[in-house]
Amino acid sequence: MSAVLTAEPTAEPLAAAAAAMAVELARVTVEVRGRGAGGAAVGAGVIWHPDGLILTNAHVAHRDVTVVLADGRACGARLVARDPRRDLAALVVDATGLPAAEIGDSGALRVGELVLAVGNPLGLVRALSAGLVHAVGPRAIHADLRLAPGNSGGPLADARGRVVGLNAMIVGGLAVAVPSREAQRFVREQLRG
Amino acid sequence: MEALLSLSNDLAGAVERAAPSIVAVHARRRLPSTGIHWRAGIVVTADHTVRMEDGITVEAADGRSRPAALVGRDPGSDLAVLRVADLDTAPAALGDDGALRVGHMVLALGYGPRASWGVISALGPRWRTWRGAEIDRLVRLDLVLYPGFSGGPLVDAAGRVVGLNTSGLARESRLALPVTTVARVTDELLRKGHVARAYLGIGMQPVRLPEPLRVGLGLPGDGGLIVVMVEPDGPAARAGLLLGDVLVALDGAPTGDLEDVQAQLGGERIGTTVTALVVRAGARTEVRITVGERPRRGAS
Repeated sequence: MSAVLTAEPTAEPLAAAAAAMAVELARVTVEVRGRGAGGAAVGAGVIWHPDGLILTNAHVAHRDVTVVLADGRACGARLVARDPRRDLAALVVDATGLPAAEIGDSGALRVGELVLAVGNPLGLVRALSAGLVHAVGPRAIHADLRLAPGNSGGPLADARGRVVGLNAMIVGGLAVAVPSREAQRFVREQLRG
Repeated sequence: MEALLSLSNDLAGAVERAAPSIVAVHARRRLPSTGIHWRAGIVVTADHTVRMEDGITVEAADGRSRPAALVGRDPGSDLAVLRVADLDTAPAALGDDGALRVGHMVLALGYGPRASWGVISALGPRWRTWRGAEIDRLVRLDLVLYPGFSGGPLVDAAGRVVGLNTSGLARESRLALPVTTVARVTDELLRKGHVARAYLGIGMQPVRLPEPLRVGLGLPGDGGLIVVMVEPDGPAARAGLLLGDVLVALDGAPTGDLEDVQAQLGGERIGTTVTALVVRAGARTEVRITVGERPRRGAS
């Protein structure tokens, strides 16, 4: 019998697993703020590499941004690459040993799979939303999942907690994310050597 | 994390099991709607998405487009039935809408396939749509029906079809026609091409009966329905029912409001006789009416 059909016995482990996942994802998610004290939150980002590489949306990453880590540290970030067409940008902060996200394979996603998003919608910090894969294309993942503007640049993760995309847009109520494959290609192309 | 992964696999598995029976129905301009391959060669969809009678095509899960013939349609329950030759993809595996519980996880699916996730938000007893069709069970959904999702399957967590989603039956909320109703209406459409509804040919309004009149005449209830319109040459007119008569019972069952009349007049009553108890000029009168069939729009 599947987990869903026996809702009572599995409800608790399910809730616990979702809560644990929310904590894990929050650790690899950063807030992206405008520069200066009291800069407004403009979106979110994903820690891509422990040595300070952060991926976010191009429409979030302007020249002067501050990145706030899950532990509360605020770091000035350098914009090192930006591609408005794919809506991707790379930021670098001066830090090492950051909790980097585990990257999944967006090409292996199945319609109906669970996905989780973390971001800063409506001023909430590292809020979780859950939904499922609505449709998958080469350039975009469509998810049946409620997003708000502060989710931009934040992670879309699968049920294992692996990041499969960066949330970028809301279209007709659907969340639209840049697939992790696109993001990996962007990192390879832009940050070679 | 195993619990999440297991749930995720179940949901994706449910989509994969249902996907072969999902079709795109091209029966209107611009956006196609979704249909369910109900049984070999028969596709059901939401009637309000069928805007043409000829030139309909159905695109099956195998990607091939095939011509479809409109077998019948029932605007009352918002169901249309199409016949598609050479549709060799697997028909839907049906579930039991009677086993649904509030809170059950369900998926609404569109052609593609595309998925929308939610829960059964409310269940209710038998109800009647604003166009007079009887639906065996109220199934209210908490999920988003994306554009093109009308006519598509509501599936349970095991991927079995438990309903047909439509935005055509209620303005505000998302409803599904339970498979019990889809099966019943589909059978009738295949047999007759339309769903027959009983018809008396009168317009009525509820009225309260004065207590002395009710007691004096020994009437069953304290309300009745005053006849405000009689269709010329309709079943009631032929039986001699008059404007101003107050209908108080049909076959002995009190008629305090219009629902009470509709409850007495299922399609199976067509051609049979009902005895109407009416108050006319302060006295009891019985009128025997032969139930007719409601004329269809566009029918000659």
